[in-house]
Amino acid sequence: MAATFFGEVVKAPCRAGTEDEDEEEEGRRETPEDREVRRQLARKREVRLLRRQTKTSLEVSLLEKYPCSKFIIAIGNNAVAFLSSFVTNSGVWEEVGCAKLWNEWCRTTDTIHLSPTEAFCVFYHLKSNPSVFLCQCSCYVAEDQQYQWLEKVFGSCPRKNMQITILTSRHVTEYKTSESTGSLPSPFLKALKTQNFRDPVCCSLLEQPNIVHDLPAAVLSYCQVWKIPAVLYLCYTDVMKLDLITVEAFKPILSSRTFKGLVKNIPQSTEMLKKLMTTNEIQSNIYT
Amino acid sequence: MASRYDRAITVFSPDGHLFQVEYAQEAVKKGSTAVGIRGTNIVVLGVEKKSVAKLQDERTVRKICALDDHVCMAFAGLTADARVVINRARVECQSHKLTVEDPVTVEYITRFIATLKQKYTQSNGRRPFGISALIVGFDDDGIPRLYQTDPSGTYHAWKANAIGRSAKTVREFLEKNYTEDAIADDDEAIKLAIRALLEVVQSGGKNIELAIIRRNQPLKVNCVSKKKKKKNEKKNFKMRLG
Repeated sequence: MAATFFGEVVKAPCRAGTEDEDEEEEGRRETPEDREVRRQLARKREVRLLRRQTKTSLEVSLLEKYPCSKFIIAIGNNAVAFLSSFVTNSGVWEEVGCAKLWNEWCRTTDTIHLSPTEAFCVFYHLKSNPSVFLCQCSCYVAEDQQYQWLEKVFGSCPRKNMQITILTSRHVTEYKTSESTGSLPSPFLKALKTQNFRDPVCCSLLEQPNIVHDLPAAVLSYCQVWKIPAVLYLCYTDVMKLDLITVEAFKPILSSRTFKGLVKNIPQSTEMLKKLMTTNEIQSNIYT
Repeated sequence: MASRYDRAITVFSPDGHLFQVEYAQEAVKKGSTAVGIRGTNIVVLGVEKKSVAKLQDERTVRKICALDDHVCMAFAGLTADARVVINRARVECQSHKLTVEDPVTVEYITRFIATLKQKYTQSNGRRPFGISALIVGFDDDGIPRLYQTDPSGTYHAWKANAIGRSAKTVREFLEKNYTEDAIADDDEAIKLAIRALLEVVQSGGKNIELAIIRRNQPLKVNCVSKKKKKKNEKKNFKMRLG
């Protein structure tokens, strides 16, 4: 037990466990109501992968149905904006499906009837080369849903002859370094790759003891286990909302092999990006 | 470790950090960019004017405020905190004038604001002010001044500085382009402020607001908008009186 300056008593965490654990367990036997609640919650949190036209669920995993050689995944609004402006604008991309899910971070309250406009993860392939895949994921995928997402997208036995590129951003205060965050040149790019990834990376590698979180970490771990070449480009920024300078920090990766041939008109893409910024600006009066 | 030492402002962490002050500095970065330039005969404050909601009265969204006839301030960070600091500073300016019959010096009012901010980093139960300020003006001796304060309560004099979002990018631009020649001429100093802001300001109807004080002249606040003449020509800048 410890007391703070305000007089409140705070229980200090103890890793040895509490003494009254046995007593608690007796009162915790599951009732049928508990089981029903748990079942309903599991149904609510299910990750559903839907086909584009019919909006029916896919029977097999996405990559089993549409084998690909190149898969680019953008997670978070800045990474999604980067792909929207530079990649999807430079070619003809066709939507093949979407993943819908619900968790506590979602804005919608209706979990059963998610409207068509609420597709959280959209999958596209390039019409001229259907083995090039793109995923734009702008929602938060909770820890318990990440495995489901991976299974529904990659399947239980993925092919090894594909290359995965993941783009995401994170706040610079989570970057552990001996320098002070004020002196870091944010936004800046860091890379983390699996053992089988042989191509050169476009920026310096992420140093220890920094770690990757959430869906990007799940995808990268999955690729490492299944020996799939994959690289994650993580942009550390001090502006977490949609921001022009953060999105432009991803530009060095346009010179990599993955993006060769996918990006055609960079000045036009930059203009598209600026338009995207102004239309997406959220008005907030707290900060001026 | 941080989570045990950031609840109360008066607690140092074992390695000497005051986390609430550092978090307040993050709040400053959420505000839009402001730049200040001290010329030879002019001081300029430039801010990125945030686009307002359709039904909102534009005049109530102000980032540049006059503290007195000869002193002006731009801030970045929490709007409400800025309002409180500005009100206190304005009262202090008048109080000083009534007491000693002289207007405040820029350094005096900066020190007052910085002392006020520091008090809030050392009181039990109060959080620091989440704003940084750029304070410009001319003293009676005719020398132009530019000061910057931050949530910790420190203040320093600068030749040119930027605060708010992407301040680092603007500061790097200023370090490369601030020369004695650039600031010798008033118009060149104004152009330098505009160019510095354009490094980070998003286009598409966004405006830049400038506050200019020339020696022995009152404060002027102008609005600058980018106008494209032709698609292929370089963008021109027109100064309009706001």
